[in-house]
Amino acid sequence: MDKTSAKGRLREYRLVVRNEFRYIFRDAGVLLILFGAVLIYSTLYALAYHPEVLRNVPIAVVDESRSPSSREFARKLDAAPNLRVAYKPTSLEEAKQMFLRREVNGIVYLPKEFEKNILGNEKAYIGVYADASYFLMYKQVFMDIVAVMMDSNEAIEMKRFQLAGVPGVQAQAVSDPVRATSRSVFNPYGGYGTFVMPAILVLIIQQTLLIGIGMMGGTWRELGLYRTLILPGRKYLAALPVVLGKSTVYFLVSLLTLLYVFGFHYKAFGYPMNGRFLAVAGFLLPYLLSVIFLGLTLSSVFKRRENSILILLFTSIPLLMISGVSVPMETMPAWLYNLGKIFPSSAGINGFLRIQTMGASLAEVKPEFVTLWILTGVYFLTACIGIRTMAQEGLRPLPNPLAEAALYEGEPLPDADGNVIPTGNNSGTERESLSETSRTMPDRIP
Amino acid sequence: MTFVKAVLRVMRRELKLFAGFRTFSTLSVGLPLVALLYFVVLIDKGVPEDMPVAVVDRDNTELSRQLTRMIDATPAARVAYHLSDMQEGEKLMREGKIDAIVDIPRDLEKDVFGNKQANVVAYINGTNVTKNGILDRDIRTTLYTFSSGIEIQLLVKKGISEKEAYDMMMPIYYEKHILFNPYTNYAYYLLPIFLPMMLLIFTLLTTIFTIGTELRNATAPYWLAAGNGNIFAAFLGKVLPYTFIFTILSIFIDVLMFKIIGVPMRGHKGMLLASDLLFVMAYQSIGVFIITLVGNMRLGLSVGGGYSVLAFTFSGMTFPLIAMYPAVQAASRIFPLTYYMELFIDQAMRGAPAGQSVDDLLYIAVFILLPLPLLHRLKRLCSDAKYWGKL
Repeated sequence: MDKTSAKGRLREYRLVVRNEFRYIFRDAGVLLILFGAVLIYSTLYALAYHPEVLRNVPIAVVDESRSPSSREFARKLDAAPNLRVAYKPTSLEEAKQMFLRREVNGIVYLPKEFEKNILGNEKAYIGVYADASYFLMYKQVFMDIVAVMMDSNEAIEMKRFQLAGVPGVQAQAVSDPVRATSRSVFNPYGGYGTFVMPAILVLIIQQTLLIGIGMMGGTWRELGLYRTLILPGRKYLAALPVVLGKSTVYFLVSLLTLLYVFGFHYKAFGYPMNGRFLAVAGFLLPYLLSVIFLGLTLSSVFKRRENSILILLFTSIPLLMISGVSVPMETMPAWLYNLGKIFPSSAGINGFLRIQTMGASLAEVKPEFVTLWILTGVYFLTACIGIRTMAQEGLRPLPNPLAEAALYEGEPLPDADGNVIPTGNNSGTERESLSETSRTMPDRIP
Repeated sequence: MTFVKAVLRVMRRELKLFAGFRTFSTLSVGLPLVALLYFVVLIDKGVPEDMPVAVVDRDNTELSRQLTRMIDATPAARVAYHLSDMQEGEKLMREGKIDAIVDIPRDLEKDVFGNKQANVVAYINGTNVTKNGILDRDIRTTLYTFSSGIEIQLLVKKGISEKEAYDMMMPIYYEKHILFNPYTNYAYYLLPIFLPMMLLIFTLLTTIFTIGTELRNATAPYWLAAGNGNIFAAFLGKVLPYTFIFTILSIFIDVLMFKIIGVPMRGHKGMLLASDLLFVMAYQSIGVFIITLVGNMRLGLSVGGGYSVLAFTFSGMTFPLIAMYPAVQAASRIFPLTYYMELFIDQAMRGAPAGQSVDDLLYIAVFILLPLPLLHRLKRLCSDAKYWGKL
């Protein structure tokens, strides 16, 4: 490469950077996606999940025993952290009606013989009706009722064993020889926001970048910028200044986003920040790069600026799921989980959660770290190829969006790209003036 | 020209557009089908099984090995590592290789048979609340069973007969009646929310796109003209073909859920079908409302897209609504999905009386009225060239 062309490419790079910034800040749609979406989504989701845990779920206790033992049991249920005995209906039927009316989320039925069974050396049956239509609710109601029951059992057993002649001190050990303690680590209270928000934030960064870059790609194509900004040349290197220029811009934009996410959001909502700065930064570097290069690759496929949102918007939930951090990977077919690794979000979310929530080092997330660098390399190449293809296509006349208008006047159908320029003559002047509008559009971008 | 004829003419024009440009069919048929089938494949097994856990066995006796085998035998867990200290376990957890560590104390055997209570601690990764819940349940149940087994042996040693011991133990026992999702299958929680979620995203985007594209391409006056200048006819002719497509998709979702996946259907079929139709119409109406209000496709898609994705969180299907702040609960009312899910759970899963769901149906229907006050503005958008051709 001779000196002048190297200089030319540097100038081209600077031109691309300037241009990209200018168009981003003139474009309300792109600004809304790149900056607004991160702000709005992160705040709204975080507010929704901020209570973190579900406390005092209302349940009904049907007490047919009406005895000190049954009342004591109901009191214990009410005292359980996640339960609240909201009603004491007189019949199971009544309780079920309350359930259907959504007044309670679970029912405990204590039969007539409850106390008699407990005081005699018999087994007392209780009926537990737990609502399994909401997963979290079911888990909590059921686990709490079982815990209360276990607790009562231990106390009753101790009394029974003592009566049977087991010495007092031993009776306690015998009633529960192996005590089970279960601790939730990294998220002691099982908080829902703490669980899901870090993953959502990492995903939002990817999705807003992909859609935003895609929108700008569509803009470039519609305005013919590929044609004007790429130096002629058949080598793949021809696309390099554009790829690097655009990447620089989006990298800087995502740094701003990260500053907000970690500088404000994370602290305001109190999510665990156990990662060391260098580990977090070192891991996010290939994440951002792979996302940006994937975005540039996709952007070269989008013919119109709206296509990126139309095609990418729905992928947010599927991508969150395929990463295996919400729906456990054990529920999905292995091939699907592995296929998901072609998206930066899969390795990105998994590695990030382990660093930031669990305090892992970069070495401990090595598979994810390596995956992200491989994706960075692959998508860099595809971005160069895609953008170069665009540049060559840009030399051909751009599809005229108004060609679509032909359809409405009974003229021949354009092809799927809308590539046919209408030949009709009945409204030629009107079309001419509208074409004029579309040609001056660059200046009219808000 | 009568009103009906005008509507039919707009519909014919819409069908021509649908046949002429791939974007329309991709957006309303192709991508929705891909998304729906994706979720059906994703939640294939329904229940997570054999999640890797580590056991730190400091006791290393027949008893501790028995406990390890019992943990390995649970559906949720599989003992992937046998370790000698906790540090190793913590590292494996940070590396994402295990989801839990069970710490068996030294002298487990000696203590329990010496009438001293032993303590087994399970450290379960809380980073994933779902996995945590399932592992917690299975490991705790195993430990209770293990403890009860020892309890009987101890009582027998104290000269109490096995039968007597059994009668004394577990004085209170429960019979579990799981209401409305008897298999606690994961697919039954997730598909009923994921599938309508995909449907609503595409319904909303398609509606904004079909109207927005007329503005962007400056073809809106032809659209209005096809409706004989009557904006209501133009509006109906444009949305009705898609009402048809998305309602068919909605029924396809029902078929997937009830016939293929086997989600229970206990309630009133008519109510469910009515909610399917109204749900589609509600999101179409919101689409018309948004695009008419912002008057340009790009911003319309950004706003509509943002609004559509939010519905997931606010439906309360994952983190329940009753746990959210009152203001957030109030905000959840601006998403038809919230009512739709309420109706779905009441009718399909719980088999509530039909009357119970009438109010949900009415709330969804309210959204259908949204475009009406804006039709006047929509007509202006179609007639005034200053709204056209925006990128």
